[in-house]
Amino acid sequence: MRKKIITGGLFLCMFAATSNAQEINDSLLLAKAKDKVKEKLQVSGTIGVTYEGYGLSRSPSGWTGYQPRRPWNQVRFNFTPTFNFGKNFSLPFNFNFAAIPTNFAGPYAGIKKPSFSQFITNPMNSFGINPKYKWAELQLGTQYLKYSDLSTGDIGVFGYGFDLRPKTFLFKFFTGISQQGINYVLGPPTVTGAYKRKNWMAQIGTEKEGSYLFAFNIAKGKDVPTSAAPAPLTIRPQEGVVLSIVSDLYFEKGIYFKAEGAQSTFTKDVATPLSPVLKSLKPFIEAHTSTITDYAAQLAIGKKGKKLDLGVMVKYLGAGFQTIGYPFLQSDRLDYTLNTRINAWKNKMNIVASLGQRVNNVSNTALKAKQFIGNLNWFTQFSDKFSLNVTYNNFGFQAASGFNPYGIKNVSNDLGINPTFTFTGKKIIHLLSMSYNYSKYDERDVLTGLTTSNNTHTALLTYVPTYLQKEIAPDFSILYFYNDVPGAKITLATLSAALSMPAVKKKMRLRGQLQYTLGKLNSFSSSNNLIASCNIDFKLTKKLTWATFLTTNYFKYGNEILPNGANYTETSCRTGFQYRFDTKKQK
Amino acid sequence: MKKLIASIITIFIVANATAQIKFNLIVSAQPPAQLSEWSNRREVLTVVVTALGVPPGFQYKIKTEIKTLDGTVIGSADLARTPIFTPNSTGTDILTANDVMPLEFMLFTGKYKTSLERTGKLPADNYTICVQPVRPVDFGPAGEVQCKNFYLATTQLPILMKPYNEEILDAKKAQTAIIFRWTPVVPTQPSPVKYRIQVFEVLPTQSPVQALRSNQPLLDKEILAATQYIWQPQLTFMPYDNETKKLPTFIWTIQSLDKDNKPVTQTDGNGEGRSEPIIFFINPDKDRKPKKEN
Repeated sequence: MRKKIITGGLFLCMFAATSNAQEINDSLLLAKAKDKVKEKLQVSGTIGVTYEGYGLSRSPSGWTGYQPRRPWNQVRFNFTPTFNFGKNFSLPFNFNFAAIPTNFAGPYAGIKKPSFSQFITNPMNSFGINPKYKWAELQLGTQYLKYSDLSTGDIGVFGYGFDLRPKTFLFKFFTGISQQGINYVLGPPTVTGAYKRKNWMAQIGTEKEGSYLFAFNIAKGKDVPTSAAPAPLTIRPQEGVVLSIVSDLYFEKGIYFKAEGAQSTFTKDVATPLSPVLKSLKPFIEAHTSTITDYAAQLAIGKKGKKLDLGVMVKYLGAGFQTIGYPFLQSDRLDYTLNTRINAWKNKMNIVASLGQRVNNVSNTALKAKQFIGNLNWFTQFSDKFSLNVTYNNFGFQAASGFNPYGIKNVSNDLGINPTFTFTGKKIIHLLSMSYNYSKYDERDVLTGLTTSNNTHTALLTYVPTYLQKEIAPDFSILYFYNDVPGAKITLATLSAALSMPAVKKKMRLRGQLQYTLGKLNSFSSSNNLIASCNIDFKLTKKLTWATFLTTNYFKYGNEILPNGANYTETSCRTGFQYRFDTKKQK
Repeated sequence: MKKLIASIITIFIVANATAQIKFNLIVSAQPPAQLSEWSNRREVLTVVVTALGVPPGFQYKIKTEIKTLDGTVIGSADLARTPIFTPNSTGTDILTANDVMPLEFMLFTGKYKTSLERTGKLPADNYTICVQPVRPVDFGPAGEVQCKNFYLATTQLPILMKPYNEEILDAKKAQTAIIFRWTPVVPTQPSPVKYRIQVFEVLPTQSPVQALRSNQPLLDKEILAATQYIWQPQLTFMPYDNETKKLPTFIWTIQSLDKDNKPVTQTDGNGEGRSEPIIFFINPDKDRKPKKEN
């Protein structure tokens, strides 16, 4: 399968490059026959192939304390041309796929030898074609469609559908498969498994860009319980439908109003018996004993301007609100935030701030939890030579803890101050940037009620000289990091230097970086870390580029772990060719 | 002869009427909040039925009630529709939640009914479950009532705190260390929770959730009972992508696991015990801002 993918991908690259050349010739001929033929073919887009290699060497032999974090080998292909036939017809392709599955989370986690249908629907691969004639678009293959914030948007579905926009009307429909059935494998390695999931979605509405949007959405997903054998142990076959109404209004002077209301009916386990006492939503879904129906809503009102943005956002997700289109959505919460952005002092002062709260357990099925959120970023350019950036973030979380005598209370505070000085000489501009961050994290023990403080100090000094008459661009930095928590003190000191410069008559851009970090945990001996990296971007022709990224990372532990002297070296390489074509520009 | 038949019938009726089924009810002190999940886990609710000395063909139903601690009945089995049980030949049966509390025949009242319809859960509180064998015809008692208390509260997965959603981190600082913080699982679990932190690189051609579902994580670490982790990435972050106009982007999440390495909640959300992931950017060039659709 893997060899077939690599061979197929390379064939596709060669075929596309050849056919592209042919298409360019055709285009030139068409251009000559312009008076006779009104319609002409234009092609634009990219095609490319990238190889990624990874190596890990651990010492002493047999020690496995550090695990590989990239695939040993990977080949990725992309083929994204758009064929334009005249003014009204376009045919965009979006093919992005990789040879080796590397899924760690979600339904495909652990899969090693996928079948063809599993390969096609694996989220790491996209095969989409969207032919479009005027206002009518056909959607084929892999599509990541976002209908709204509460209906569907995060999941890629392989199937077919359309997106029609006659005048101001919207008619959308799509159906397909978001995941194939995957058998449970005990392993090792364990494959959690998944049920084949069929998806349907539709939208009807009216929209005038920049003015208004009213739409009704429906999104449904249903698992096929017989699609995996052995069936997954921890995952149940599910079914869900979401109905939502969206309204966006944009008024003069930057005032906007956005709202959405949604109802979800979700069966957590279709293997549970049908329930005569729970509400069904026929013909879309029939209630089982594990079916729940709940609601969600969000509202945003605000004003956007050159000097001032001000907005309020409220989001409510009922405890039983669940949609297949957003599988990681955390429900049972009420968020409200006030956001603002201020540009003042002739745009030399910029303030971005938000203040809000998240309340969990709106439905009272869980213990009350409140989270306070506050962010501030204040930048001021005092003069050409001096600017100051101040940031402050606060997250506070409080909840009862169940049977324990004390509730949970975690508070995170971060303060950052970053002055920057610029000195301009005749041949060189010196930029000196300093940064200090203090981060305090308080956590209460639910048994004793004692609060432990976790304090972190980070200081960074960066020097960037810019040569006015030379092409080289170096930068240097030194960083000190100290974290103090009862029982553990971590100190890190980093020296870093980088240099970028053009080469080969500016066809090549080189950038190299060296970084050394000395680390210390409590009174253990120091750890050492050296990272060297290099970027080479080579413009082989006007359309063909060759980009390479190489890095080596050596890390040697102190005596905080056994065996003493444990170390590893990891290397990674990413190199690829990208061919960009645009017949329109060529003429 | 008639007297003999009448005597036999009388003895049979009396024997049936006085036959005693003994229940031994075992209920987890903190069962899953999702009531439909009880039937998938044998350890949540078990009734050991002892039916020694009952006449052949003896049958019974189970009268199940769920009460608040003050004794108010908030849910009960619809005895007209619940299944009939016949003791097996050994005299001992083991029944589970599917038999004892069949949700399709349970009738709840008031706010408890509303809560169950909307969330599949009862409001967080202490409850009592009582079971009693009854005769199928007149629902009269065929054994003693057995009651057990239990506590229900939905397990809330951690909320990711730092880096917050769409935070732009300075590359120089991030190269040395990135601090991750999250809220603990609520309520506190019987055994310490393993928080599996995962960080995935989002490639320029990928959406964040697509990257999470596709890529090998750059960080995959299990942290026991702590809600902070300092990561030394040991990475050189890719420079700003001039083609896609995107900053190097990462998505991170926490998977909460119990002592057996199983998700602490399997019925809520994605079933994997994964918190809602959020993204952060690494900015190698302060002048660059991420594209909004990132």
